[in-house]
Amino acid sequence: MSTHDTGPVVRARGLTKTYGSFTALDAVDLTFEANRIYGLLGRNGAGKTTAMQLLTGQIFPDGGTVEVFGRTPAEHADVLSRICFIAESQKYPDQFRPSHVFASAPWFFPNWDEALAAELIAEFRVPLGRPIKKLSRGQLSAVGVIVGLASRAPLTFFDEPYLGLDAVARATFYDRLLADVAEHPRTIVLSTHLIDEVSNLIEHVVLVDRGRILIDADAEEVRGSATTVVGTRGTVEAFVTGRDVIGRDGIGGLASVTFTGPLHPTERREARELGLELAPVSLQQLVVHLTGTEIPTEKEVVS
Amino acid sequence: MTTATLDGITVPPRSRRIWRVMRLHLAAPSVFLGIPWIIVGMAFFVSVAIAVLIALNGGQATGQRYSWAVLSPQWYLVVVGVQAVGLTFPFALGFGVTRRDFWLGTAALFTLLSLVNAAAYTILLQVERATDHWWTGTHMFDSLWYGLGPWYHDFFSTFALQMFVFFIGAATTTLYMRWRVVGVIAASAVVVVLLLAAAVVVTAVDGWSALADLLATATIPGIFTVVLATALLCAVGGYLVIRKATPRS
Repeated sequence: MSTHDTGPVVRARGLTKTYGSFTALDAVDLTFEANRIYGLLGRNGAGKTTAMQLLTGQIFPDGGTVEVFGRTPAEHADVLSRICFIAESQKYPDQFRPSHVFASAPWFFPNWDEALAAELIAEFRVPLGRPIKKLSRGQLSAVGVIVGLASRAPLTFFDEPYLGLDAVARATFYDRLLADVAEHPRTIVLSTHLIDEVSNLIEHVVLVDRGRILIDADAEEVRGSATTVVGTRGTVEAFVTGRDVIGRDGIGGLASVTFTGPLHPTERREARELGLELAPVSLQQLVVHLTGTEIPTEKEVVS
Repeated sequence: MTTATLDGITVPPRSRRIWRVMRLHLAAPSVFLGIPWIIVGMAFFVSVAIAVLIALNGGQATGQRYSWAVLSPQWYLVVVGVQAVGLTFPFALGFGVTRRDFWLGTAALFTLLSLVNAAAYTILLQVERATDHWWTGTHMFDSLWYGLGPWYHDFFSTFALQMFVFFIGAATTTLYMRWRVVGVIAASAVVVVLLLAAAVVVTAVDGWSALADLLATATIPGIFTVVLATALLCAVGGYLVIRKATPRS
């Protein structure tokens, strides 16, 4: 929903960001269409925040191009007026309290909804008068979530919005986001490593790992894209021969192999006849398989 | 400048964009207004208390012009300049403020507050004199170089000093925001090298006595013109540096 065209909201080509010898983003291509919910998934340090900072003009690319609403975001007030990005490690001005954040936000976000903000403040139980420095991680996340929702910016980024939020607050965020986006369509980009939590929320998956994009596809498509087959080792191995295997596991004579690609009904019948069990792979399991299994994704978060 | 668009977003003209940056700095008013004046107030009461103690012990406080109490909030205001860039700048970027608008708004606020503080100090100095130094012989504002010349010298020197204090803190922090520690160290090295080079040049032309003569004849407006020029140099330098500065993640 840009000024001049109805093309994509975000278009990045060969986007590269390096820090010394470390390549945070490596020649990434990205296209975000208007009014969809994007999930930017990946492990810690995968490049999610770097991508968001580049798309919001907070940092400058070392290579490639990025266009947001048709032009480079950095230093362009018309583009930046349409963007909201409260970073996970957001710095706040000295002496700031949540009340100051919500009082100043309407000066910068033309679509700011005061009533919505007030409701969310009550629902998330944000202590308005407590210094930002003394907020818990969850309360800090809530402040970011409220700004992101109430700003109603045409392109809104949520950087790890779930961090520290309790189950009730997470459900509130989920419900409020879906309801508000349905009423006021806009583009949402949500980064997280709590993949199961958002898998029903996101419409499009962008999986980043070590600065590269592993998956850039419709969420529905991704969910059905991998299968795990379990059975005796020999039978399983025979069944997956020639398939795109992304994970292997097993105990004794039993094997569990995960592979991507479609599975025809005849193949399913064949598996059943061979005594093999087929199971769909959740988004989170798929991400774990694709980005390394050493650390399950949840364990990184709870701190 | 105002453009209406399909998505209902209107980009305000630059004047409004600068104004909202000024308001953002003042959103928590204790930073720029509350704490500095609390410091002045505390310094004032300490000064009065000391003057009273001197008087009670039979001493004479009147005519003592060596109190630095008048400068008490300046150290804190350097920190305010640092935090304006170190904390408020990354926050403003998240709110979609351009670097240019941020610096223009910040510079506008610094200038406005320097004028306000200069006016306040000038008035307080006159009040101090009119009240026979607060009826206690307290030299809080009528001290150091203050009150030696006409009132507009006090006004100008406070304005110049205040501008310098704000901009030196803010501009130094832009170096950090752009090049991190390396930038600050490199800039410090450059300043030291320039000072040493100047000393070498003065020595080479055997100009130390001429320089001493020059400094001896320096007037209060002359000195503070140099101070203000340095502040403006920081303002311009900070603008150039912040245009490519990036918040720490």
